[in-house]
Amino acid sequence: MSPRVRVALLALAGLVLLPGAAEVIAGLPPFGSTIAQYGARINAITPEARHVANMVSAINFDLRGLDTLGEEFMLLAAITGTVVLLRGRRGEGTTGRAMRRPGRAVIPRSEAVVLACRIAGPLTALFGLYVVLHATVTPGGGFQGGVILASGTLLIYLGEGYAGWRDAIRSHWLDALEGGGALLFALCGLVPMLTGAAFMQNILPLGTFRDLFSGGLMLVENLGVALAVTGGFTQLFLEFMEETREADAPEEPGEESA
Amino acid sequence: MTVILPLLFLLTAISGTAVVLVRDPARQVFAIAVNGLVLAILFDALQAPDVALSELAVGSAAVPLLFLVALMAVRAQPPEEES
Repeated sequence: MSPRVRVALLALAGLVLLPGAAEVIAGLPPFGSTIAQYGARINAITPEARHVANMVSAINFDLRGLDTLGEEFMLLAAITGTVVLLRGRRGEGTTGRAMRRPGRAVIPRSEAVVLACRIAGPLTALFGLYVVLHATVTPGGGFQGGVILASGTLLIYLGEGYAGWRDAIRSHWLDALEGGGALLFALCGLVPMLTGAAFMQNILPLGTFRDLFSGGLMLVENLGVALAVTGGFTQLFLEFMEETREADAPEEPGEESA
Repeated sequence: MTVILPLLFLLTAISGTAVVLVRDPARQVFAIAVNGLVLAILFDALQAPDVALSELAVGSAAVPLLFLVALMAVRAQPPEEES
């Protein structure tokens, strides 16, 4: 496509989209005005109906839980697609341990970096768990906590190097985490149907308002999302790092790698 | 609040422009991280702590790390082995 055609296409798209965008922007309430009516209603209803303090969780995992289920599978599909792309001809059989790249230098790390990562890694993981578990009482939840947990595993990589990281993290565990999380979420929708309730109806006891165990099924769904996100993001890192490495020939096992 | 919001919008614009203008990929990664941090503060100031936490975790930690790792992997590739 020549640059001229591109500019023409852009102008055409702008002609179609801009009037609509202008209309919507003109219809918005003025910036900084009081909270929208829908939000005010949600704030009035959910604490009594679902016993949770975090309204965003209540909407994402209960009132509009079906949307989140769809997003969950979007994430699963995106990560699966990326992994398939990155693995390429390497295939599946070679993901058990760190792959060796001939001639690749092992970058020495200063002891300060190793120490900082050994202290910060577990603390980050702990904070991730905290965010996941407090999904119904504080801002945050499964997705945010899952990403923080995945950053925790990345700190292990920064401190210990690639070989050490791969010793601790197995690709098929990540697959199981990712798929298992999505499965757990889907089961949260299907299991209530066994009891005669609707899909994703909250059948667990709701608990007390502002308690850690409030919201019933929301906590389980958050756990599913956290597992899937932790597994998925770590899997992405792993595949990006593995991508440029050649698979070892099977007859020379256990060699140091960069 | 009247001073903070315009200031944050200005910072967002500056850091976003910086991401576009910085041409060196390694520096661009840090520009993206800074932009994510500014956006996280902006979302928090606009009373959306959930979104701020997501932005902080994804925009200023996970995505830059992913880019850094990809860059490292590309640079480690010796050119004579490409075939």
